[in-house]
Amino acid sequence: MSDTSDAQDTAVRLTDIGKRFPGVIANDQVNVTVRHGTVHALVGENGAGKSTLMKILYGVQKPDSGTIEVDGRQVSFSSPADAIAAGIGMVFQHFMLADNLTVLENVVLGAEKLYGSGDRARRRIHELATSYGFDLDPDRLVEDLGVGDRQRVEILKVLYRGARTIILDEPTAVLVPQEVDELFENLRGLKAEGLTVLFISHKLDEVLAVADDVTVIRRGRTVTTVDPKQTTARQLAELMVGSELPSPSTETSTVTDVVALSVRDLSMFDPQGGRDLLTDVSFDIRRGEVVGVAGVEGNGQAELVEAIMGMRKVQGTIALGDEDVANWSTARRRESGIGYIPEDRHRHGLLLDAPLWENRMLGHQTREPNRKGPFIDRGGARADTERIVEAYDVRTPSIDTTARALSGGNQQKLIVGREMSSEPLLLIASHPTRGVDVGAQAAIWDHIKTARREGLAVLLISADLDELIGLSDTIHVMLRGRLVGTVDPQTVTPEQLGSAMTGAEVPA
Amino acid sequence: MTELLEKATGTVRKVRPTWPVVLLGVAAVILLLAVLREITGAQDVASSGTVRAAIRAAMPIALAGLGGLWSERSGVVNIGLEGMMIMGTFGAGWAGYQWGMWAGVAFALLFGAIAGGLHAIATVGFGVDHIVSGVAINVIALGAGQYLAGLAFTGKQGGGPTQSPPVEPMSTFDIPGISNLAQTLESKHWFFVSDLGAIVLGLTSRLTPLVIGGLLLFVLTWWVLWRTTFGLRVRSCGESPEAAESLGVNVYFYKYVAVIISGALAGLAGAFLVNDSTVYREGQTGGRGYIGLAAMIFGNWRPGGLLAGSSLFGYTDALRLRSGGESVHALVLLLAVLLLFYAIYMLRTRRSQALASVALAVGLLAIFVLTDEIAGDFTGMTPYLTTLLVLALFSQRLRMPKADGQVYRKGSAG
Repeated sequence: MSDTSDAQDTAVRLTDIGKRFPGVIANDQVNVTVRHGTVHALVGENGAGKSTLMKILYGVQKPDSGTIEVDGRQVSFSSPADAIAAGIGMVFQHFMLADNLTVLENVVLGAEKLYGSGDRARRRIHELATSYGFDLDPDRLVEDLGVGDRQRVEILKVLYRGARTIILDEPTAVLVPQEVDELFENLRGLKAEGLTVLFISHKLDEVLAVADDVTVIRRGRTVTTVDPKQTTARQLAELMVGSELPSPSTETSTVTDVVALSVRDLSMFDPQGGRDLLTDVSFDIRRGEVVGVAGVEGNGQAELVEAIMGMRKVQGTIALGDEDVANWSTARRRESGIGYIPEDRHRHGLLLDAPLWENRMLGHQTREPNRKGPFIDRGGARADTERIVEAYDVRTPSIDTTARALSGGNQQKLIVGREMSSEPLLLIASHPTRGVDVGAQAAIWDHIKTARREGLAVLLISADLDELIGLSDTIHVMLRGRLVGTVDPQTVTPEQLGSAMTGAEVPA
Repeated sequence: MTELLEKATGTVRKVRPTWPVVLLGVAAVILLLAVLREITGAQDVASSGTVRAAIRAAMPIALAGLGGLWSERSGVVNIGLEGMMIMGTFGAGWAGYQWGMWAGVAFALLFGAIAGGLHAIATVGFGVDHIVSGVAINVIALGAGQYLAGLAFTGKQGGGPTQSPPVEPMSTFDIPGISNLAQTLESKHWFFVSDLGAIVLGLTSRLTPLVIGGLLLFVLTWWVLWRTTFGLRVRSCGESPEAAESLGVNVYFYKYVAVIISGALAGLAGAFLVNDSTVYREGQTGGRGYIGLAAMIFGNWRPGGLLAGSSLFGYTDALRLRSGGESVHALVLLLAVLLLFYAIYMLRTRRSQALASVALAVGLLAIFVLTDEIAGDFTGMTPYLTTLLVLALFSQRLRMPKADGQVYRKGSAG
């Protein structure tokens, strides 16, 4: 291939990119070539360096070494503005939207020179929205939009700036299956218009469904680029992790007759005076049983968990074994055998700037081995943290490292290890593998399954429907604060579950 | 699908007050005051003199608050408004006695902006905690004001280490036509009509360019922040600097500009005080910077609300000054009645709150019936008490800029 035709064909070429942070090598000799008018997927474990690489391409961070070429020309970005000028746009994993501004304001921000910030901009947004099939009102506050719409605002922002190459960082992590299909439809539309899409994901089936090329990154290095038509999800996963993997499916049932948690008529009122957050929620979890709760986010799952943990006031009874714990404090509930993997590990699970061994004590500060009389048992906590790091394969330089320095998967493994260490009766697992790579995901599944065999009762909340179906013995569907149906994970498909979650008929 | 999702997540659109609602509200307040004046006979509850005094009391607070609004909309908490105001009073006094009040205004803006710039360098440039930097500015400005005043005014005729020589204040003017008509109406003592006349007269007579300019600054602030590109960028820095930076907005630049404007406006508030008392005096600001900040919070970080909050404070302050005992006595009745209405409104949802309001209302009514006047020690507290009460009642529904008070470092996007 001659140089000229190569340049025409290539939208973006990254050569020997390297980037170091204190103590971590995020990228080391990364090479990626993206062809024009294709969807190019970038896969790898958490902490493999995908996001760093994309931030480098978008000018948020500067590479320590290596070169970036866009449309055959070598470029150097010192800020996102430079990247935008070169026709590159990015949709971040955590949406970059200002809640209290309207859709219009969010879209025109930083690009007011194009069409002003008034009616001309409104018309342009309308044009773009209709031609790509987005249904968005430019004058609504972003605060009032659902997750799928927010993502469309993000993509619209990028299109509005005339980007020819769009980077999407884990766009499907927050969507339900139907929304994922809509997104992929949108992506195919973009491709048909000649745009180039760079797509980062953990979910390998999705990658195989939508991508034209797949590049695998492992520990900061590019492993290879493969053709998705000739690759299976399993092969991809093994390339990512570098070894063979287990699958999520459950083995034989271990459900016993002993009820571990019994919840009756749980109701919670909205302090702001809106619709009730929970209405008459009742269910049982027996020892050795995993009960899944499926629902679109914001339908009361978080409130249910907080009610059982005693973090919010509710009406109704909550019985742990034979004891009514409804009036107990959160600390007492934990001491009597509830383990808790919180939904948002940064807000509730960890002190990001504290070392791992201090994080080991969180929520367990009143129990062995963290306590010696009225004092903290430093030695005991440290020794037990070493044990968790070992047993749960938490990849960290030392237990004095701050939690922030760990990748999401390793943070989560530490939390799982901590919660399992006190041998709980009941484990509440809220999105236990959200934002976690396949390797860590498999490990966490394994730990849950092992504990279940030993008689642990598990309440599992997850947006990952494969995970719900694969791990649960029973699945309840939650909609607007009510349990609206129960499905059998043996027979239900993710699509059926997805539509049940949005209020369609519950499959028998 | 999206529709279902929206329903599932239960979204609600917010309601903004429209012009008819605002005008009706104003009319209701005037009616309330008219009734109060008729019942209690306290003439100063609604007189042109009270309105004029209210403007004088409200304006410095409003301008300081407007400074706070600029700064906080860009995401920088500005507790240093008080200190920036002190710099403004010194600038106005120093330049004012030498070259006239207009020069005083210019120097007040400049000195305030310098103090604002200092705050910006600390908070935006070096990432110092906003409260720490703001308190430091207050302490430094207090000392700097005293030191500079000692240098500049000692030995000057009519001046001393704590006071500048007298400043020739700006001349006042009436708005012809309207003020004459309003004056005729006020003198008639007709129910409601005369009260309206009194308020209009107070608003249209013996004005200074500073009052008009100050009010125009409110309109200008609204227009710039909510109708221009520049304003959108400033607000985006206060809401989500990460989003702004990811779109190529120079977050530091807009924060710097907004905080410097904030300082200049606080300085202008200081100039207003100097023009009003025709002299720079030590301790002249008397905590108005803080009250301006409170008025801004009460106003939900919006210019209209801020103006309403400062007016409330100004009005109660004016009542205190004009036959305070009698007027505040009348105000007690108003408060009791309002509390009763509040109790009825809350009866269904929050019974305990409603009962507490009723008890308080009964107590206030007892005070009203058993006394003829409120003692001077208590009338002095009225404006502060009112501010506190109103803030306590309304503070639950406030929505501050999301990234307000957070230190932002470049490169945090993503």
